Amino acid sequence: MALLDLITEEVVKVPLLSTSKPDVIRELIDMLKKAGKIADPDKIFDSVMKRESLGSTGLENGIAVPHAKTIDVGNLLLGIGIAPQGVDFQSFDGKPSKLFFMLLAPPDKAGPHIEALSEIAKITKSQAFCRMLIKAESAKEVVEIFKEE
Amino acid sequence: MNSLIRNILVYIDGSESSITAAQYAICLAKTVSAKLFALYVVNTRALTDLVAARIFLKEEQDEFQVDLHQDAERYLNHVKNLGLKKGLEVQTLSLSGTVNQEIKNALAAHDIDLFVLGETAQVRSRRDEFYSEAERAMRGSTCSVLVVKDEERVWNVFDSFV
Repeated sequence: MALLDLITEEVVKVPLLSTSKPDVIRELIDMLKKAGKIADPDKIFDSVMKRESLGSTGLENGIAVPHAKTIDVGNLLLGIGIAPQGVDFQSFDGKPSKLFFMLLAPPDKAGPHIEALSEIAKITKSQAFCRMLIKAESAKEVVEIFKEE
Repeated sequence: MNSLIRNILVYIDGSESSITAAQYAICLAKTVSAKLFALYVVNTRALTDLVAARIFLKEEQDEFQVDLHQDAERYLNHVKNLGLKKGLEVQTLSLSGTVNQEIKNALAAHDIDLFVLGETAQVRSRRDEFYSEAERAMRGSTCSVLVVKDEERVWNVFDSFV
């Protein structure tokens, strides 16, 4: 499965309005709920926060990849959020996170789950690509950037 | 025809398209009296990379490795049963490592002359083309490759195939 198959304008939020880690996660989950992708946002929030409690998914260079394996989704789901102002996500390098890829997957989709996370890991190695995303002003622009890359 | 295709390998990754490819390969193997291998590769390289990228914790790597091995067993058993339904014994192979490399190794180890795989996601960006494991396996294959398309037609053919 190509990552682009998971990315539509309705699962991209620019800009995120939240200013804390739990609020960012909640905002991304609410976006997926609004898009009709999930039924029980509270359970999913708990799953993602439980994973965060084991160690932050805030990486380097303003990127965070919160994720969870949960029975509360039927298919692989990706939510993308951009917070140009930066949010303290207890990231590895201590810098605020600006670009969020939240991946949710059911337990029986381990293969596609790994494949999608690997693809995110690869694309986020390109600082130029991430800078373009962070500068995007709309969900439409984010989708276009992924298509053009 | 029999001498042209003696050993077929179908790559299974758990996707619907790979199961369709297995159905096609079963019909083809029976038709040309070829031996059919079904391969699933547990992508341990990706797990290692995710830990290195700090996206995964070591505990997640271990947990997902177990999940992936269970997936391999489940999907390969499914393909084996599909073969049995059509009177064909499918030899299943479960390997671990880098997907495209393990496919290449299996093609050589079993003297495969036709590599069958499901339709890959429609390439809509240069990145998709570069990162897709199936794309890379297809390009790296040393034997002929058959990409199975038109799932509905294959399902119908498989259902009525005797």
